Amino acid sequence: MDSSILRQLKKIAGKDAVLDRQEELMLYEYDAGVDKHRPGAVIFPQNAQQVSQIMRLASEKKVPVVPRGAGTGLSGGAIARREAIVLSLARMNKILEIDTANQRAVVQPGVVNLELSNATAKYGYYYAPDPSSQKACTIGGNVAENSGGPHTLALGVTVNHVTGLEVVLPDGRIVEFGGKAQDSTGLDLTGFFVGSEGTMGVVTKITVKLTKLPEHVTTLLGIYNTVEDAANTVVAITQSGVTPAALEMLDGWMVRCVEANVHAGYPEDAAAVLLIELEGMREAVEEQAEAVSAVCMQQKAREVRRARDEKQRQLLWLGRKTAFGAVGRVSPSYYTQDGVIPRTKVPYTLAEIERISKKYGLIIGNVFHAGDGNLHPLILFDSRDPQQAENSRKAAKEIMACCLKFGGSITGEHGVGLEKIGLMTAMFTEDDLEVMVRLRNAFNPESILNPQKMIPDLHFCREITGPLPKAKVEPVGGIPV
Amino acid sequence: MSSLTIADLVINDLAKIVGRAHVGYTDTDVEGFNINGVVPVIAVSPGSPEEVAAVLGLANEFQLVVATAGGLTKQQTGGVPERIDIMLSTTRMNKIEQYDPGDLTISVAAGMPFAQMQARLFEHHQWVPCDAANLETATVGGLMATAAAGPLKSAFGHMRDFCIGVQFVTADGKVVKGGGRVVKNVAGYDLMKLLTGSFGSLAVITRVNFKVFPRPRQTRTFLCPFGSLDEALQFRTRIFQSPLTPMCLEIISPRAPEYLGDPGPVEDPDHYMPSHPVALPAAEWQIALRAAGSDNVLARYARELGGAVGRALEGAAEEQLWKWISHFEPSVLARHRNAMVIYTHLPIQAVGATLQAMERAASDYNLIPAAVGRAATGNLVLAFVPLSVDPPSAMQYANCVSAFRGMLPPGCSAEVAQCPTEAKMHFDVWGTTPTDVSMMRAVKRAIDPNNILNRGRFIV
Repeated sequence: MDSSILRQLKKIAGKDAVLDRQEELMLYEYDAGVDKHRPGAVIFPQNAQQVSQIMRLASEKKVPVVPRGAGTGLSGGAIARREAIVLSLARMNKILEIDTANQRAVVQPGVVNLELSNATAKYGYYYAPDPSSQKACTIGGNVAENSGGPHTLALGVTVNHVTGLEVVLPDGRIVEFGGKAQDSTGLDLTGFFVGSEGTMGVVTKITVKLTKLPEHVTTLLGIYNTVEDAANTVVAITQSGVTPAALEMLDGWMVRCVEANVHAGYPEDAAAVLLIELEGMREAVEEQAEAVSAVCMQQKAREVRRARDEKQRQLLWLGRKTAFGAVGRVSPSYYTQDGVIPRTKVPYTLAEIERISKKYGLIIGNVFHAGDGNLHPLILFDSRDPQQAENSRKAAKEIMACCLKFGGSITGEHGVGLEKIGLMTAMFTEDDLEVMVRLRNAFNPESILNPQKMIPDLHFCREITGPLPKAKVEPVGGIPV
Repeated sequence: MSSLTIADLVINDLAKIVGRAHVGYTDTDVEGFNINGVVPVIAVSPGSPEEVAAVLGLANEFQLVVATAGGLTKQQTGGVPERIDIMLSTTRMNKIEQYDPGDLTISVAAGMPFAQMQARLFEHHQWVPCDAANLETATVGGLMATAAAGPLKSAFGHMRDFCIGVQFVTADGKVVKGGGRVVKNVAGYDLMKLLTGSFGSLAVITRVNFKVFPRPRQTRTFLCPFGSLDEALQFRTRIFQSPLTPMCLEIISPRAPEYLGDPGPVEDPDHYMPSHPVALPAAEWQIALRAAGSDNVLARYARELGGAVGRALEGAAEEQLWKWISHFEPSVLARHRNAMVIYTHLPIQAVGATLQAMERAASDYNLIPAAVGRAATGNLVLAFVPLSVDPPSAMQYANCVSAFRGMLPPGCSAEVAQCPTEAKMHFDVWGTTPTDVSMMRAVKRAIDPNNILNRGRFIV
């Protein structure tokens, strides 16, 4: 990185707020995904004015800037590709206001997701979107990725819980979208901005909805002898008219993996389990629990258990939320997928994943948000074995092709980032992408902010994929993993 | 360029695109599309997104101004159009394209009347929980473009929250899509959010995919009367703090019940004549709370609400009440052609101050105030009804609106959805908004650089 730029960065945010030594920069090479690149510098601004000055400097010097939260993203969104500045929001981590009367909180982007719920629980409220990484991930990062989580089935994802944003644009302007009201006159730029993966602006203040803590919560564990029965139960519950707060599935391999790690109380001989949470008024929860249990049994569940107390309920969830970590203990590498399919296609898709697993001789564990059809197959491989690494990529492509065949999506909640940028042409036509580029350019005309993420360079993707099809499945080949 | 020349220039080309039967330019063809006194030169009704693209491509080439029409229920909203060369009607695109009840998703062409889609969903005990006004005629695309909503917004949100995919045609004639047919999807920008409430200013919506919901099998409505606005709002706070999760929580102002009933024959739409001028206690505010659930759940509601409940409604009477509440705005306008209707977007604690501001501004300018609205989201529908003995001047509307807006707490926005056309030139119907308008304009320029879509009618 140019030393005069470094000097100016230090002048803006302070000497102790800029990292430029190689050993420090190494820590910012990666996120929780698979891509790795070393940035030129890391800066930790403490307020919106500093962010604005950094953006102005970067725009003037044409240095790319990549905003970063906690680095828990799974799609490489926070990876700085070239000689870029990583703009870490980690030090802007204050809860600015808890306004229970208006059911809102105003936070800085670096506030950790779970901390907000912890801070508001004493008033009887919480922040509903709960990514599995909620103990570490930041709300700013959640806004960039439009993050989901198990409990977004009934309550919606991040975009349904954000009503206002303060944003620094690439030219340094500080602008406001929305506020504490549910919506406002004019275009919904708040909703449009959420999920833009740091390609439109840097969020410096977020107004979120607070949700009333439910009076009653209960968690059921459906235990199955076949994956197919569990998958059929998901379809049957969806059709029964009950919308659970969460409906998660783990297959037998994942169950054993999790049990070895945390002893969550899942039966190790099960072929699959469903974790079903119901919440709301006590009377409604009790009735729904009975209805859901009956559906499970009709769909050939071996047994339906109900968490006896809060401790047991938390343990069941601990199993689910630490599943990825548990896999890390048994496999040197794994590759997390994030495909989405229509819910009725869950049984068929799982059978297809099983076939792909056998074809490539790789273990694929399944732990996912069954209720909204958001699959997370984890492909296990040893990255030191080039053949296995290659096969894992091929298997991933086949799984994605299967999702797209059913009219699904390449990403339900992890984002496109670097990882899936090559797959965008399989979902969108050249015209679709061209309009997205024009919209991005309205905010970020020179692509100073998070360049080469999310939306492929159209010229480039034409070269590698040939003439673009009208959203067909095939041209998934040649995608960098 | 005179109107006649425009017609001469493009009429044959348009006929080639959509078929001669679907292009009109005589007075009878276009008069029905009169928007605030501006009549389009040509009316065209394409039958497919590709035809829409060809029409817009042509319009863009000749820099003709295009407005889009669905069921014509909200066309009078917004600024007076600068001019309209082509009125593009979506009503020939009216099919359900895909519906799989098991997936709880539906894909519908934009010109389909909402109620037709809903009837199909009802067959499977499902619905898109939107209860805006005029659903028999309003189209799916029109409801999305206007972000229309009714009392169900309290619990379910609105079109932005249901729409999971959209196909639209840009001003330069590209057929583009965003999202898809699955309920969770973060691939690409969220164009559904951008188009919801864009009032036809960014693109022509041609297809909408919704996530649908199981329809509640049993509901009950509790009508709770209060002697003052304060008491009604205290009751609302009690509900917020209770474990209850009502489906609708609607506040009804003292004069609003006048418009929540069978309208009867309208003799003179300029004449204000209350039907029960003395029977109605002038200070009674009501909260209508609608709950869904089993007998046990509804019994719990009755217990928790206790003595606050004046009446409980079920079945046909309950359905009727909610239809009337949804239909409040059209009822007011049917009775009083010159009434003004304002929609608000408020932090929920600003509801009280806003309703007081309405009463104050109305009395200062000799208008009669009436309101219904979502007490849980701050989306109120405020009506200002003129007195026949003192018809307001155009300027009086403008002054009333600025007085009203001036009294609103910070963070609020209030748009004038309906008022006489003559008044519109004296003030900005959209008003101020907390969202940066320069960025709205940048977005508009990015996808409609020649400003051919709905010029002069929306904020951008």
